[in-house]
Amino acid sequence: MKKLIYPAAAVALFFASAFTVIKSQDWKIAEGYSIKFDGGDPSGEFGGLKGTISFDANDLANSRFSTSIDVASINTGNGMKNTHAKSEKWFDAAKYPTITFTSSSIAKTASGYAATGTLDMHGVQKPVTIPFTFDGSTFKGSFEVNRMDYNVNTAEPAHGSQKFKVDITVPVSK
Amino acid sequence: MFKRAFFHGLAASVLAAIVGIIYNRIYFFATEADFSKVLNIGSITGISVMVCMLATFIYFGLATWLKKTGEIVFNLLFSIISFACVMIPISISLPLSIKTPELFPGLAVPMVFFPALAWYTLKPLFTGSNR
Repeated sequence: MKKLIYPAAAVALFFASAFTVIKSQDWKIAEGYSIKFDGGDPSGEFGGLKGTISFDANDLANSRFSTSIDVASINTGNGMKNTHAKSEKWFDAAKYPTITFTSSSIAKTASGYAATGTLDMHGVQKPVTIPFTFDGSTFKGSFEVNRMDYNVNTAEPAHGSQKFKVDITVPVSK
Repeated sequence: MFKRAFFHGLAASVLAAIVGIIYNRIYFFATEADFSKVLNIGSITGISVMVCMLATFIYFGLATWLKKTGEIVFNLLFSIISFACVMIPISISLPLSIKTPELFPGLAVPMVFFPALAWYTLKPLFTGSNR
């Protein structure tokens, strides 16, 4: 039995070290991130970014994003608009408190990478592809969202913009 | 005399600025909401001087044009414009670095009345012919 102790320890160390290699690809979201949306009027940003980011440029198959933002954190720079945005008529923050993005695959592109996954907003799940770059410390991505696709105030299609450009900048640390 | 109207406007702008700066500090201590990027000593003083100087010209113009009712028309106009200006802090979009825009009207709405209040408060000191 004693003879098995060292092989068992070696196996345990092997698997533990493999686990640390996998863990080393995890990134923590650092302060200073921004999730800005621009539809002309309104424009603004979201806060409350949480989630897990596992990204390795050399191992895209095992890379994954699972993130969420707090709908109630919306800031358009105007208190009245913020209140409207959180109301039942628009994002309904009480019923749908978060907007989530979960990637299913990440691929290399000519200009960087592209994360394909599901964007869950206002109770509607839609597949989206977010092109992004990573310089070793900051993820930067940009994509377009149409609020009508997510049933956000579909009763008033002409009230404000329908299409919004979303710019994401997320500094990370290990 | 324009000189009297000018000093009335100048004194009103100083009083409005002082009251505005004091209210700004009180509001900050009460709410801890920092709007210094938008409203600070410089901008409060600048806006107060600008509004009161504009009021000086309008007052002088109306008092000259409408000899009997000029002051009444001016006071009415100043009050109506001040009240209408309530919409400015309510509808303005602040820089996104300000995280509590909901609290901005509470700071700025009372301030839009300060120039008019200062003007009316100091009026007895500047009575007489302004023409």
